[in-house]
Amino acid sequence: MRRSIFHAASITLLLSLLIAAWQESRHPQPIVLTPSLTGQAEYCLTCHSDLPQISNSHPVQTFGCVLCHGGERLALDANLAHSTLRGGRNPADFSVVQASCGGANCHSGTAESFNNHIQRATTSIQATYAGAIASIRYTFGAQPDLTGRLGIFAVQVPASTSGITALAAFDPAIETNPFVQAFGQNCLTCHLSAQPIQTGSRYDHFTGCSACHTPTQSGDLNSVNTGTATQVHKLTTAIAYSQCDTCHNRGNYDLRTMTFQPRADLPADQLHDYYQPIAQFTKCEYSLDCVDCHTRTEAMGDGSLYGSKKDIQYIQCKTCHGTSTELPQVKTLTDPNDLAFRLALLNPVVDLKLGDTLLFTAKGEPLWNTRLLPDGTYQLVGKVTGQVFPFKPVLGSGCTQNGVNQTSAYCHTCHSVQR
Amino acid sequence: MRPNFFHHLHPPTIPARQARLRYTLAAGGLAVFLALVLLVTGLLEMFYYIPTPDQAAVSIQTLTFLVPYGGLVRNLHYWSAQFLVIVTLVHLLRVIFTGAYAPPRRFNYLLGMGLLVLAILLDFTGYVLRWDEGIRWALVTGTNLVRSIPLVGNPLYTILVGGTQPGPATLIRFYGWHILGLTLVAGILLVWHLFRVRRDGGIAVPPPALREDQVRITRYELLRREGVAMLLAATGLLLLSTFVAAPLAAPITASASTSEMARAPWFFLWVQQMLKLGNPFFWGGIVPLAVLVLISFIPYFFPQPAKGELGHWFPKGNRLAQAVALFILIAIIALTILALLPAA
Repeated sequence: MRRSIFHAASITLLLSLLIAAWQESRHPQPIVLTPSLTGQAEYCLTCHSDLPQISNSHPVQTFGCVLCHGGERLALDANLAHSTLRGGRNPADFSVVQASCGGANCHSGTAESFNNHIQRATTSIQATYAGAIASIRYTFGAQPDLTGRLGIFAVQVPASTSGITALAAFDPAIETNPFVQAFGQNCLTCHLSAQPIQTGSRYDHFTGCSACHTPTQSGDLNSVNTGTATQVHKLTTAIAYSQCDTCHNRGNYDLRTMTFQPRADLPADQLHDYYQPIAQFTKCEYSLDCVDCHTRTEAMGDGSLYGSKKDIQYIQCKTCHGTSTELPQVKTLTDPNDLAFRLALLNPVVDLKLGDTLLFTAKGEPLWNTRLLPDGTYQLVGKVTGQVFPFKPVLGSGCTQNGVNQTSAYCHTCHSVQR
Repeated sequence: MRPNFFHHLHPPTIPARQARLRYTLAAGGLAVFLALVLLVTGLLEMFYYIPTPDQAAVSIQTLTFLVPYGGLVRNLHYWSAQFLVIVTLVHLLRVIFTGAYAPPRRFNYLLGMGLLVLAILLDFTGYVLRWDEGIRWALVTGTNLVRSIPLVGNPLYTILVGGTQPGPATLIRFYGWHILGLTLVAGILLVWHLFRVRRDGGIAVPPPALREDQVRITRYELLRREGVAMLLAATGLLLLSTFVAAPLAAPITASASTSEMARAPWFFLWVQQMLKLGNPFFWGGIVPLAVLVLISFIPYFFPQPAKGELGHWFPKGNRLAQAVALFILIAIIALTILALLPAA
């Protein structure tokens, strides 16, 4: 054998060594983060350094990524790193939320009910869908009354203000009425565990806690209509009406065919985006965001099981405006640990101080973004927009409505908006 | 030129006809080369690998992703191990298809069989050391096979696994076998095997009177050829390891159930496929062992090639051995393909 062959073989090995070195140099420089809560190095930021911090309450230096998302903290191979992600892109899906968001120091397990968000959210009517299931089953004769008996999943609570302490899992397969079966097959798409049926559209959303707290829509109609709105790495309590719309304003169910009819129009402004064509509503209902009036217990439940939305949703026009005979309930903040301060801290659109007088709901929840002004009028600060809305009580106005009949439906009779 | 250490490992001259690549397939030499690569890369890996259930997969991820060239070293170790099994089998087939195991090389053939078994056991134990989701079959089905052996199954399982179910004791035992127990025995057998090649008269060749030609090459030329083969093998190995990563999965979780997707390592797929036929002790124990024993007995109980036929492919004298080897080879390949096909 000639020496030149040996030399050629040596050169190929040398070249392959150079290629190996070149390939090694192409690997991204690992970016390490050791969050203080886990004390374990994680390298997610090597690829994900462009992500914004998810919220001020979850600083990345404290939480890191893995505590909530799971995943392989050391792997710099995308497939391996993501192979053990909790809930895929969404660790707040109810199937994994306990592991992702739960824990005594986090969103479950504490004695104070206001911190046990997971228990409240997973027993809420938005999660169990018990109201819709009960009403459909009652309508088609599958149950004798409207009491909530079944939920999307079986769930029980130790005690309940509604009297319902347990829901069994709704199983369309054991239903005998064909309409209820069809409902089970086609219509179980608007509870918090349901995968969105309009993916990629302006009505796309996540499941679980993220359905509301991780905005998929910016609220800017131009960007949602042109499809340029993007999902962002964010947790917020400033939830725009457009996020609620991803479920509550996306179309209707046809009860004759038990099929979903998606909304077809592309509304140009918030007025035309508001609710379905048949709804009656007032100006504040489309100029404010839903969360400006509706409270956390209405949306996330209060830890009890309910069989109807009506049993948990209680905010009325009079909560803020009072009636022709009574002023709305107010309370002056005297306790520095008042829940109002905690809520205002999470979404600092107002600067609350001890001594401020706020509107309170019939169940004693603070409307922390409102304030009684010295002149006897009120103001509300938009939780999403930061916009200031001054308003007056009904008492002393020209309203002649009987003070007893002052639910919102009565107000709509005179004050509804035409479009 | 004064012969150096490496020249002295070889005979001064060897017959040219039997020194050609088309005769040896370079399989034996490559096996030695791969064994050396495995030794060096394995030693490097030992600086990072932590043999505890909660740290094993994590330490491999550290080595793979965070240690400079650590991924390359691991890939080299992985690919060398896979090719070691392949070239050892090719070497075995070459020896059978040339009848080179004929006396006085019968004992060295057995040493070679021992080395093949050790290569597979080393591959298997090394694979288990990953201790990630990818090794569930080995950890659960593989070890449970041992239990199916009548009488001694349960004690043997306890010795192997170190308890009633896989755990920290299992991992440290596999680690011990991998880095010391099996490696030491394999090293001794390897040196013995190489020694016996020279003691038995070098490469198998007809007696001088029966040779077609008497041309011989020097050990200088032989070493150069081996050098070229190793350089080219190293090039291929390096390129493969640069671009194709060794498998890795998420750390194994507490539950020790096997999923439908759990697959054996490729060299045991044929056994996994046979296990679907029924009795695990018969199909997973007796049959593979019978195959091993049958192949090992070829030099002792099968018709031998004539002396003049040595040093050539497919001698007439041992056609039966060739047919048996071919049948087993085809059966194993067919079973492996069946195991790889998606379940109907």
